[in-house]
Amino acid sequence: MSEAIKLRLENIGKRFDVAGAARTIAVQDFTLDVAQGEFLVIVGPSGCGKTTVLNMLAGLELPTTGTVSLNGRRITGPGPERGVMFQDYALFPWHTVWGNVEFGLRHGPAGDGLDAAARERRVRSHIDLVGLSGSEGKYPHQLSGGMRQRVALARLMANEPAVLLMDEPLAALDAQTRIILQEELLRIWGQDRPSAERRTVVFITHAIDEAVFLADRVAVMTTHPGRLKAVIDVPLPRPRDDATRAQSQFQALSQHIWGLIRDEAYRATVT
Amino acid sequence: MLPLALVFVWQTWGVITGNPRTPVPTRVVAAALQLIESGELPLAIVQSLGRVFAGFAIAALLAIPLGLAMGSFRRVERNVDPLVESFRPIAAIAILPLAILWLGTGTPAAVLIVAYAAFFPIVVNTVAGAKRISPTLLRAAATMGLNRFKVIRTVVVPGALPSIGVGLRIAMGVAWTAIVAAELAVGAKAGGGGSGGIGQMMFVFYAYSIELNRIVVCMIAVGLVALALDRLLRGGLRFFMPWMAR
Amino acid sequence: MAISSSSRFGTVIAYVRTMAVFIAVWWAVSVWTSNLVLLPTPFAVIEAIVDLARDLELFVQAGISLGRMMISLALASLLAIPLGLLMGLRRTLDDIVDPVIELLRPISGIAWIPLALFIFGIGNALPIFIMTYAAFFPILLGTVAGVRGVDRGLIDAARTMGVPRRTIVTRVVVPAALPSLLVAVRLGVASSWTAVVAAELIGAPSGLGYAVEWYRELLMTPQVMAFIAMIGVLGYLTDTSLRALAQRFTPWAADARRM
Repeated sequence: MSEAIKLRLENIGKRFDVAGAARTIAVQDFTLDVAQGEFLVIVGPSGCGKTTVLNMLAGLELPTTGTVSLNGRRITGPGPERGVMFQDYALFPWHTVWGNVEFGLRHGPAGDGLDAAARERRVRSHIDLVGLSGSEGKYPHQLSGGMRQRVALARLMANEPAVLLMDEPLAALDAQTRIILQEELLRIWGQDRPSAERRTVVFITHAIDEAVFLADRVAVMTTHPGRLKAVIDVPLPRPRDDATRAQSQFQALSQHIWGLIRDEAYRATVT
Repeated sequence: MLPLALVFVWQTWGVITGNPRTPVPTRVVAAALQLIESGELPLAIVQSLGRVFAGFAIAALLAIPLGLAMGSFRRVERNVDPLVESFRPIAAIAILPLAILWLGTGTPAAVLIVAYAAFFPIVVNTVAGAKRISPTLLRAAATMGLNRFKVIRTVVVPGALPSIGVGLRIAMGVAWTAIVAAELAVGAKAGGGGSGGIGQMMFVFYAYSIELNRIVVCMIAVGLVALALDRLLRGGLRFFMPWMAR
Repeated sequence: MAISSSSRFGTVIAYVRTMAVFIAVWWAVSVWTSNLVLLPTPFAVIEAIVDLARDLELFVQAGISLGRMMISLALASLLAIPLGLLMGLRRTLDDIVDPVIELLRPISGIAWIPLALFIFGIGNALPIFIMTYAAFFPILLGTVAGVRGVDRGLIDAARTMGVPRRTIVTRVVVPAALPSLLVAVRLGVASSWTAVVAAELIGAPSGLGYAVEWYRELLMTPQVMAFIAMIGVLGYLTDTSLRALAQRFTPWAADARRM
């Protein structure tokens, strides 16, 4: 590819040793490059190891074999330059929206060099960005699922990470909220900006239509052990919206990907 | 291992203090053997246990049906709950003087105290267990044509069993503590002529013979019996409810 | 939990109705047995409560017992909470200390009374010692469980923000464990309030437990019942106010189970 390679997964393998049971190989022989400014989506049936791959990119887990690197440097642990959005939001319940968004700047290296005023500006701008102005003083338990997801996004982006790692962030939402947030996500990411200025995103989902809607490329994983089956280009034009879903190319791509996963998914429900 | 180290420190401290009455591990062990051989300790434990089991059984026989009724019928709960909640904060030991007034310093009063103490954890947990049954399950049973009482018998009772089990375990612990406290208090009031049991034996060792080593033996016995009761109950519950997750 | 005002009114009505029935039955039985030492009438008890309240004895003894409980709670918390935090965070420490805890815990605070009587004699120190001991274990174990039970995801979220480990402990683990900690303190209070009666009944020259026993020996049953009622009321009030405090400081804690 012509753009610079942001993330590289080379021959990744991850083995879990569960006490008493046989060793589980979660991921095997996984090689993938992610380009700068790319929106890459990983799809696969449940339990195929997608989350493990993401955790390795995040540095929350280390691969048993192979290397994971960012900008050519090996990843050895978590850090604010690779921000993570978790499926269950992981918002701090004792902090308000403001407190949550501010957290990484207040207590982490992303806030180094920012005085209180600069920090406040950054928090405000990100709260506005995700469309939550007016809710700064609310607590997570007072918010709807969609709002909580926005807070998680704002918190993540306030640290100005180079890479966004998202683990099925929209899975817990109802279908309608999901569609709206998909578009919001693309807007916030900056889908109409050139790739050199955009953040790199690795997004995990099991919903194929979501993958095709969001992605520049879709990586399809198999299950048990998790392997990379195929990488599909999604050349649909940006910006994407409701009309995109109606296009025949959208349907064709979705069908194609489903065809790749279908057998695995079936087996997953029976075993 | 920290416990062994502490025992060792305790022994050394006792030896250094020099007073032959100071309780130290070696003397405690000797006293324990003495008390077991003479039969005093086993007898006391059996007496206390007898009261615990009697009181526990009475409490369970009253509390479980009541709890199931309260958990299944809103009306019952609304009318009975004020009484339960009013008396629950009053610990069993506070009732002891009343119990002595009514029944004297013997076994009946002790059993009453144990039953009172064990009653509340069982009721509270049974109600919670009955209420926790997912309404969907209840509706499913109803759509299969079961009347109210059948539903209770076939759905509520098995579903509430884990919670009832928790209540029973808590109640057992409370009951054992209550009997020791009751016997201790009775011993303090009735002196040596009281009605036996390990609590009273402990007090006698304090007040009359000042046998500190024997007191420690009793304390350890109290702890060991508490553990044994809990294990036994847990094993029994698991036997009757193999589907209960640990 | 939001209760509709009509339902809450209904609960109050039911409460009043049940207690009225209870008092009526009580009165009937007491008249039938007509032994005022064995079972005084409800009115005798109310009269006793009013008298004891008027010459303040009811409140003085209550204050003494409450004071002891607060001191014990403070002592137990000071010991148990830091230890519990450390044990929850460091597995190795927990492995070392836990056997000692598990060996001591089954020996209830009450079983310590004879030995403690020998060490402290009758006085203030005895109830406070017993009550501190009784409160210690629930608070310790609850704190450890609270720390262990902190949502792993919250810690991971902080890690991905590059937050250093020590800050994670103070700014994530402690606040996240706070609801469980408060529950543990409530259990400790309940435990020590039970112990207060036993301790005062046997080994103190003052307090509610002592008063109960004192009036029993004088065969003044209405007064005995008055003090028993006071014990119950205070036990209920302390638990309710702690629960309100927890609600105020940790409003996000979804778990409002009745313990």
